[in-house]
Amino acid sequence: MTLHTYDAIIIGGGHNGLINAAYLARAGKKVIVLERRPIVGGAAVTEEIFPGFHFTEFSYVVSLLRPEIIRELELPRHGLKILPLPSTFTPMENGDYLAAWDDHDLTRRELYRHSPKDAEAYDEYARVMVRMAMAVKPLISLVPPDPSSLSIRDLMGLLKVGEYAASLSQKDLYQLAKLVTQSSADLLDEWFETDALKGTKSASGIIGTFLGPRSPGTAYVLLHHYMGEIDGAFRAWGFAKNGSGGVTASIASAARALGVKIRTQSPVKQVTVKNGRAVGVALENGDEFHAKVVVSAADPKRTFLQFVEPKYFPDEFVTQIRNFRTRGSSGKLNIALSELPNFTALPGDGPLHRGAISISPSIDYIERAYDDAKYGQVSRRPYIDMIIPSMIDPDMAPPGQHVMSCFVQYVPYDVEGGWTDEKKDQFAEHVIATIEQYAPNFRRAIIGKQVITPVDIERIAGITGGNIFHGELLLHQLFFLRPAPQWADFRTPLPGYYLAASGAHPGGGVMGAAGKLAAMEILKDWK
Amino acid sequence: MPNYDIIIVGAGHNGLTAAATLAKAGKRVLVLEKRPVVGGACVGDGNAPGFAPFLGGMLRPDIIRTLGLERYGLQPAPAKAAFTSLLPGSDTLTLDPDATQAAESIRRFSEKDAARWPDFVAFMGKAAAFLDASYRTIIPPLPKFDLTEGIPLAQLGLKLRGMGRRDMLNIIRALPMTAQELTEEWFESDVVRAAVASLGIHGVTLGVMSAGTGFNLIHNWLNRGGMAQPNPGHTGEIASALAQAAKALGVEIRTSAEVTRIRVERETVRGVTLASGEEISAPVVLSNADPKRTLLGLVGAPELPPTFVWQSRNIKMRGSVAKLRITLATPAANLIRLSAPQSAPASATFVIAPSLRYLEKAYDTAKYGQVSENPYLEITVPTANTLDVHFQFAPYSLKQSTWDLERETLHQLTLDTLSEYIPTLHASRITIHSLTPLDLEQTYGLTEGDLNHGQIMLDQFFFMRPIPGCADHTTPIDGLYLCGSGVHAGGGVSGASGRNAARKVLKG
Repeated sequence: MTLHTYDAIIIGGGHNGLINAAYLARAGKKVIVLERRPIVGGAAVTEEIFPGFHFTEFSYVVSLLRPEIIRELELPRHGLKILPLPSTFTPMENGDYLAAWDDHDLTRRELYRHSPKDAEAYDEYARVMVRMAMAVKPLISLVPPDPSSLSIRDLMGLLKVGEYAASLSQKDLYQLAKLVTQSSADLLDEWFETDALKGTKSASGIIGTFLGPRSPGTAYVLLHHYMGEIDGAFRAWGFAKNGSGGVTASIASAARALGVKIRTQSPVKQVTVKNGRAVGVALENGDEFHAKVVVSAADPKRTFLQFVEPKYFPDEFVTQIRNFRTRGSSGKLNIALSELPNFTALPGDGPLHRGAISISPSIDYIERAYDDAKYGQVSRRPYIDMIIPSMIDPDMAPPGQHVMSCFVQYVPYDVEGGWTDEKKDQFAEHVIATIEQYAPNFRRAIIGKQVITPVDIERIAGITGGNIFHGELLLHQLFFLRPAPQWADFRTPLPGYYLAASGAHPGGGVMGAAGKLAAMEILKDWK
Repeated sequence: MPNYDIIIVGAGHNGLTAAATLAKAGKRVLVLEKRPVVGGACVGDGNAPGFAPFLGGMLRPDIIRTLGLERYGLQPAPAKAAFTSLLPGSDTLTLDPDATQAAESIRRFSEKDAARWPDFVAFMGKAAAFLDASYRTIIPPLPKFDLTEGIPLAQLGLKLRGMGRRDMLNIIRALPMTAQELTEEWFESDVVRAAVASLGIHGVTLGVMSAGTGFNLIHNWLNRGGMAQPNPGHTGEIASALAQAAKALGVEIRTSAEVTRIRVERETVRGVTLASGEEISAPVVLSNADPKRTLLGLVGAPELPPTFVWQSRNIKMRGSVAKLRITLATPAANLIRLSAPQSAPASATFVIAPSLRYLEKAYDTAKYGQVSENPYLEITVPTANTLDVHFQFAPYSLKQSTWDLERETLHQLTLDTLSEYIPTLHASRITIHSLTPLDLEQTYGLTEGDLNHGQIMLDQFFFMRPIPGCADHTTPIDGLYLCGSGVHAGGGVSGASGRNAARKVLKG
């Protein structure tokens, strides 16, 4: 048994943990990151599953990473390079397709082909969504005040939120309020008539969420995914050089340069508590680490129900964390391909292969996929978001061959009867059959595949329930209610113990905001 | 021709409440009603007395007191009745208004749930009290409002804070939740969860897994004063008491007087035109019709700003409720007791809501424009030999059929479902009447058959009901106010919207 002493210990080397560590180190603290797996990155990793084929195992695109974090941590200097993902291609059930290309005029002409009305509405819709994303931005970078508290800090915070609301124009405030409470189906029905357009847009509203596009609240999730489109150097969704692992590798490199120590293969068993304060952690191998501050970048359930004995928390808090919704709803199929899928709607190799390919022919299609899942079944005809990383970054696969990432919804964590190898095969088969319907050579082109269910996400990346956001982005799990009422400011009922990951405000995606905001709060408390 | 200060379009319970309140303040009020009878959706069509779109309801107690409706036979607090969930195999769960007795019935399904029931009732009481306070507040256009408008809003905020930290946060949290999530946090028995969650989808085209049904659950709890329907079969008496009170206060009520146009000149209301061609002028017009009908039908898009027209078109009216009345040869109570011996004799509201999954599945079909094959039903027993049935989901817009063709299917599905729980029903049935969503629209003027003049959902709540900026009953037309259920505080037979609209007019 060895003993180590630091200023701060970060549990978990995902992007939020690393960002949190980097900011603490930047303020002169002596910081160590303890990662369970042999590699850092958490759910943003790239791994060579078949020789020569590099898979972006879980997270596969970037866009939401806060630009100020990229700037402040000088991530480009540490190897961060975002390659554009220029288009979205949606094959339709009638053999046609709908595409949004990287050229505005081309996209407009394409939309016009389907509906002149939608082509007209599209630009205005994009403007409104960008304006709304801008309007939400100040809330994202704010520590949520507790409206029930009378402390100076919370009252000042409330005042700030009030001032913010008053600064919005009436039109913006109303539009925002509608967006936060609406269903994505209702939102899109107000604007458009083309099924494939509405289906593809509505998909952003369900990602990582166990709700269908007709359920209220999904328009907010859609907006959440829009936030990346306006920020920083890249305006659209992008793909990191070397995959999502490239993002976390650059953050890890920046953190190390700031003096952060990163220890992999160091699973934490328990947080050490002394005199009602978190004072360190014990690893599963018995090693002990002492620190003034312990930060968890794991999900709230692991953070509060596994690392710490419940007796250190009020009963009500424990109940609230137990009730925190973390139902995993998505899975992935990572595929090694001998050739590109050939889509009957637009045959041949083309620009479509360099962008996203979306199986989302209509809102009803996605809603029906949800209907399967809510009763514990994998969607028979799922929503699939595909990208072919090797088309964007040729280093990802051997020459002439390809890797393909298929994000699939809905894949329930609590599948009826539990997950078995048979069910996993069935899930893969649903996905392959669905894609095959649009690209008949697809099945033949498969050389190898990695099937990831929410249970695998939980097992490999250590996220409870396999929920990619560490907890669903439901209205009652946002802002001052995330992860639990009164504890949305990254502090926890255990002094010296903090939460700094997607389960805290403002939520998931490779965004990094929680990691940074938590670091700022920790430094405020530093005495 | 007499001069009126105020014309009210539509003599529903909200229109009459507004009329009486305004007349009490000395205004000369004329109420114009399209149908030959007053009462709107509280009153039936004569073929089946007492059979109305609203099978039960209760005005807010302050309205009954202020307008002196006790004199006309209304009681502020109707006798509380039990709420019984009929289950397969002649089993039942009875949620008696007395919490201890309810716990007794719950105990058969879960000891834990029985122990939690009194706390749940207390929590719902607080949540409903907060909602009631918000329904008493006229919500000014945000974010810029003057001090006099801001004070009630601040008072509402204080009321919420005054409930204590825990309750305050729990109430805020409950509103956007799904009825499933809310009931799952409280109870472990699916039977108990489903019975309670049925209130969350009552009257809306949403499932128990749709966000915001927590809010609808609290809304219905407030309107009913608990789980059971108050005054089943007697909503007509509410209308007649209001009409009598209004007349006594000097209100003139004209029936069979259909308003076809609200006349507007230079964004100011001038009066109304009737179907007969008669024109009546007044400086103030209140519309008890739903917002869509009022703005797009009676006023007309050309008189309104384009964005506002777009917003009006997007108000979600999605009726998916049908109502049925079944007359029986034997007393209904006997039939139910025969098949469900455990049900309390005082039970007046019964539901077919055996599980959360059952309720969600009923909603699934509505999403795709089909009638539920296994519907969620709420049954009340207005008189000894009749059953009134609230049927969900029967969507207004059918994908592959029309309501003319589907009425028989509706009857059959209702009888089949009921017979599973009350096997002797088939033999005892004499007649069956129904109101489809299309009937609700054609007879009662409810756009798309939406009983609440607009869905009770999160984005049509509070300052967003019916349209952001109009939650204070005003419209872009000077002198034109909305006083029906489609405005904040509305939904159900509460009269709150009519009361608030009158207050707003009197302030202006």
